[in-house]
Amino acid sequence: MKYVVIDTPLHNIDGPAKVTGAAQYTFDITLPNMLYGKILRSPHPHAKILNIETSKAERLIGVKAVVTGKDTLGVKQGIWRRYKELCDEEILAREKVRYIGEPVAAVAAVDEDVAEEALSLIEVEYEPLPAVFDPMEAIKEGAPQIHEGVERNINVTRHIEWGDVDEGFKQADYIREDWFKVSGQAHVCMETHCAVASFGHDGKLTVWTSTQSPYYIQVLLAWTLGLKESDVRVISRYVGGGFGSKFELDSAQFCAALLSMKLRRPVKIVLTREEEFTATKRRTPMYYYVKTGVKKDGTFVAKECRVFTDGGAYTSMGATALYLTGFFQSFPYKWPSYRYDGYRVYTNTMPSSAMRGFGAPQATFVSEVQIDMIAEDLGIDPIEIRRKNGMTPNYEVPGQATIRSCGLHQCLDKIEEWIKSRGKLPPNRGIGIAAYGFMSGGIFNWFDTPYAFSAAMVKINIDGKVDLYVGAQDMGQGANTTLSMICAEELGVRLEDIRLHTADTAVAPVDLGAWGSRETLMAGNAVKMAAAEAKRQLLEFAAAKLGPNIVYDLDIKDRWVHLVARPERGLSYYEVVRDAIRGRDGQPIIGRGHYTPHRKGMISPAYSFGVQAVEAEVDPETGKITLLNVVTAHDCGQVINPLGVRGQLEGAIAMAAGYGFTEDLPMDNGKILNPNLVDYKILRATDMPETEVIEIPTYEPEGPFGAKEAGEGLTNPTAAALANAVYNAVGVRIKELPVTAEKVLRALKEKKEGKKKEG
Amino acid sequence: MKDFQYHKATTVQEALHFLSQYGAEGKIIAGGQSLLILMRQGLVAPEHVIDIKGVKELDYIRFDEKEGLFIGATTTHRSIEKSLLLREKYEVLVQMERKLATIQTRNWGTIGGNLCHADPAGDPAPVLIALGADLKLGKERGERKVSLEEFSVDYYETVLEEDEMLLEIQVPVPPARTATVYEKFTIIDSDMAIVSVAASITAGDDGGCKGARIVLGGAAPVPMRARKAEEMLVGEKLKDELLEEVGRAAAEESEPISDIHASEEYKRELIRVLTKRMVRRAWEKAIQR
Amino acid sequence: MEKLPLRITVNGQPYELCVKPKTLLVEVIRDHLGLTGTKRGCNSGACGACTVLVNGVSVKSCSVLALQVDGAEILTVEGLAQGEKLHPLQKAFLDEGAYQCGFCTPGMLMSAKALLDENPKPTREEIREGIHGNLCRCTGYNSIVRAIAAVAEGKYEEGE
Repeated sequence: MKYVVIDTPLHNIDGPAKVTGAAQYTFDITLPNMLYGKILRSPHPHAKILNIETSKAERLIGVKAVVTGKDTLGVKQGIWRRYKELCDEEILAREKVRYIGEPVAAVAAVDEDVAEEALSLIEVEYEPLPAVFDPMEAIKEGAPQIHEGVERNINVTRHIEWGDVDEGFKQADYIREDWFKVSGQAHVCMETHCAVASFGHDGKLTVWTSTQSPYYIQVLLAWTLGLKESDVRVISRYVGGGFGSKFELDSAQFCAALLSMKLRRPVKIVLTREEEFTATKRRTPMYYYVKTGVKKDGTFVAKECRVFTDGGAYTSMGATALYLTGFFQSFPYKWPSYRYDGYRVYTNTMPSSAMRGFGAPQATFVSEVQIDMIAEDLGIDPIEIRRKNGMTPNYEVPGQATIRSCGLHQCLDKIEEWIKSRGKLPPNRGIGIAAYGFMSGGIFNWFDTPYAFSAAMVKINIDGKVDLYVGAQDMGQGANTTLSMICAEELGVRLEDIRLHTADTAVAPVDLGAWGSRETLMAGNAVKMAAAEAKRQLLEFAAAKLGPNIVYDLDIKDRWVHLVARPERGLSYYEVVRDAIRGRDGQPIIGRGHYTPHRKGMISPAYSFGVQAVEAEVDPETGKITLLNVVTAHDCGQVINPLGVRGQLEGAIAMAAGYGFTEDLPMDNGKILNPNLVDYKILRATDMPETEVIEIPTYEPEGPFGAKEAGEGLTNPTAAALANAVYNAVGVRIKELPVTAEKVLRALKEKKEGKKKEG
Repeated sequence: MKDFQYHKATTVQEALHFLSQYGAEGKIIAGGQSLLILMRQGLVAPEHVIDIKGVKELDYIRFDEKEGLFIGATTTHRSIEKSLLLREKYEVLVQMERKLATIQTRNWGTIGGNLCHADPAGDPAPVLIALGADLKLGKERGERKVSLEEFSVDYYETVLEEDEMLLEIQVPVPPARTATVYEKFTIIDSDMAIVSVAASITAGDDGGCKGARIVLGGAAPVPMRARKAEEMLVGEKLKDELLEEVGRAAAEESEPISDIHASEEYKRELIRVLTKRMVRRAWEKAIQR
Repeated sequence: MEKLPLRITVNGQPYELCVKPKTLLVEVIRDHLGLTGTKRGCNSGACGACTVLVNGVSVKSCSVLALQVDGAEILTVEGLAQGEKLHPLQKAFLDEGAYQCGFCTPGMLMSAKALLDENPKPTREEIREGIHGNLCRCTGYNSIVRAIAAVAEGKYEEGE
């Protein structure tokens, strides 16, 4: 299908604002009469709060207010609103702190220096409690109980099963059992968490904040502050990165709002980079046990896994990560039988929540490394074993999901081609692959919203310009442009005809936000529906003018309203708009759209797929890994925003490669040891290899114009492909993330010693 | 950051005078690429800051065929990196600077500031020690010379007295058939060294080793000479087994400590490998001279 | 602490200010002059989001005391475009989609400009080195490298 707008390399609509420095992020916002806030945080991983003395701080010149948990309604909030027992986080702790960095007080003052000084004058009396930092320790009998009533610190359990796994293992010719350990990861958004909250004398709260979901923040603020949702307005026009860290209520938002309510003045809180590392949320670390049974020709028969996740101090979004890791552990293959048991365990560490991939990168690492091991054990080519078992279009995961579009096999073919083209590699160099699949938005409504998951409104004005209202959030992934493109394509105009209104809960219709890769499919569908509705109204008027026979269709393409069968017969879009508005009592043309998945299985209405190859070199004397090439063949259905997709792919590789071998959050008794950008190592431009993207176009019936997600799934394969590449380069298998040079060298030494013993 | 009294010096004399008055509660700032970070994190809070960034007198790179190389303390890393003179005469300094921190840091930060910060994992010190550098220190009352090897005494601590500042780095003309090389081990490119090795080998006419200096970075509280390893080289011919032994010796005499980036065991292993490689590289280069 | 006079030119505009000694250059640019294009991303001089040009040379403005640049000419992202005419680098960034969230972009552009001013025909490797001091979490850098390469190849020459 040839399109006029979508799948063309159009400029991102926020580009001019971003490249000229005109874009105002929350970080940049100042308001008249504004104060600056700072947050006092617990130095203990687990302690009772006996008393907080704030008078000295209050008396410091320049300090306007100090708040503690006592000044709150004591609401235990959480995203999983449907399950009250999982709403366990107060944000400003009242009785107990459960991790180093948990907020206990907040100050508003005339500038940051005074606010900082005031923090040092607040006296908190703690009674330290025994703490536990490892999930395997936390589930033992007698371990310190972190949340009242939660036995053995088991916060959430999840079970996924189909087929008969035990029977499957009996049928299997070969069985492997392996333990893996996957690490956490910090999001490292360039813009830290921040908020400017302004509570007026009219009793209404406005919050400018860096968020992936203005709607969630609106609802959660209303809930925790005792306000009506509609009296809370959240604005987030430019967001400096999210990656999963910014769709929950955070300390900057809550404390700024609380202080502003007390003072009736705007309060701005910006988290420091150190707070960003220690007191926000992180990717969920996991202990993974996998037992897999296959036939000797490589056919998959049964898989069983048990996972213990390090949940940190609060539930957060960790329950979703627990579920998704269990589900995507089976992707992208056909498993006749499968069983997953997941346990999320509280520990006295920074809460684990959502991060790009949401449990799937962890699952993919485990699954794809083990599959390589099985392939080697059986003497089967790694591409072949994946081909043998890979999902195909219209496959049904029993009781879980129906895969409609699926370009996995074409992806395998392309990667196989590329690997062959590399020929024989020099010593200490290897290519590793990994296949993945990922969701395009989730079907779950644990947030318990009464609204459609995504909604949109299109308004056509007399000059032909189109106002598009969407609640979907652009955090850099390009949703603003992608959705505007969908609108323009459907309506038959150009991208520059669309004027976007978004990121403001007072203006835009509800959207659940940018997470779980939902915007292109879900908000896209809502936008397409709204645009189609507006178009229909225009075509009604055009029909009168053009007088088509009942069998002839009308459409609009590139501002030309025409008969589909005789495109030369038509009218200018602008003329039709004028007629239509006049003909409707001078009302602008309005189209509304919405989307909520119905009967789309247990996880997602559609799935993206891909296969990635990583070529790496290992220095056998130091273990140092150098990335040389990354080639990805991926299927995101119909590409809407090609510049956006390419950017998402390359960015995902950098982030996932970091997860694979350079990023880690080592802790000592609950204290993060590297909370800065010098010691926490993300890839720089000189570490990033050239990357090649191969688009495998498919058509997803559930997606707008056949589109699926393309931002998160791409984070799944790289750590696995890298680990497999290291094995193929120097023959050592690292089953613990990150795959560091030190681990590689140690494994090489052990291998050499093992050989010596044998020899 | 706590505020302070600011004193801008435009000449060496002014700087030394300020030092004599405020040195006790004061700090010198040149590029501030190390100092400002410490100050912003509250680790250091001087009452007075003496700004010598504008002391043009100390911004120079001079070479004399007999006397050697002279670099003023406020010369930026970037000047050293871009110096055609240095690329010709002391190429190892240019190569070292190219991988030091980031361009922005090199544009503003100074070689003097780096040496006075005395981070044992810093890049310039091991290289300059391998080159046999001395430092000219000055106070209002006079000057003194100190070998760079003896300049650092502990983590972030030097022999500088309160009213004293670094004026100049002096590097002798290398003996004939000498080559100096440097490499650091990092996980990502151009990062702070986990460990590093600078090796300087002087080859005899027969290709044997006439002189050796091996300096380890990130292996002790100060950049350290691997003297036992050096002794093993003098008078010997280039051989694989010798290099293996030298690497092992350097690893053994080093004193690295475990941190979040690498264990002590791994650091020793890296020192062993890097020493072996750097000695070989320097030796092969020296033989060709 | 007593404030001291500071005279700087920013994007061609001279300013006379009075600042406390501890004031950082980035604070003058963002807070005193309201030029919020330049960002701050860390407290350790590690991310490069605050990169500006001082007398043509790129520095991290969070790691420079304002008083040290008394008399200097500062260029920030706001000074790249000339009225409605975008700088070639800005055009290239738009064409390549060399930004996503955009927070690192101003600093990235300044480093790119400094690179091309000094080395108009860099290799790909040199381009990567040129932006090595600027962290980006969104793009994976490659689109930025392509954009800078396009300018270096003359794609945005006048009259084309």
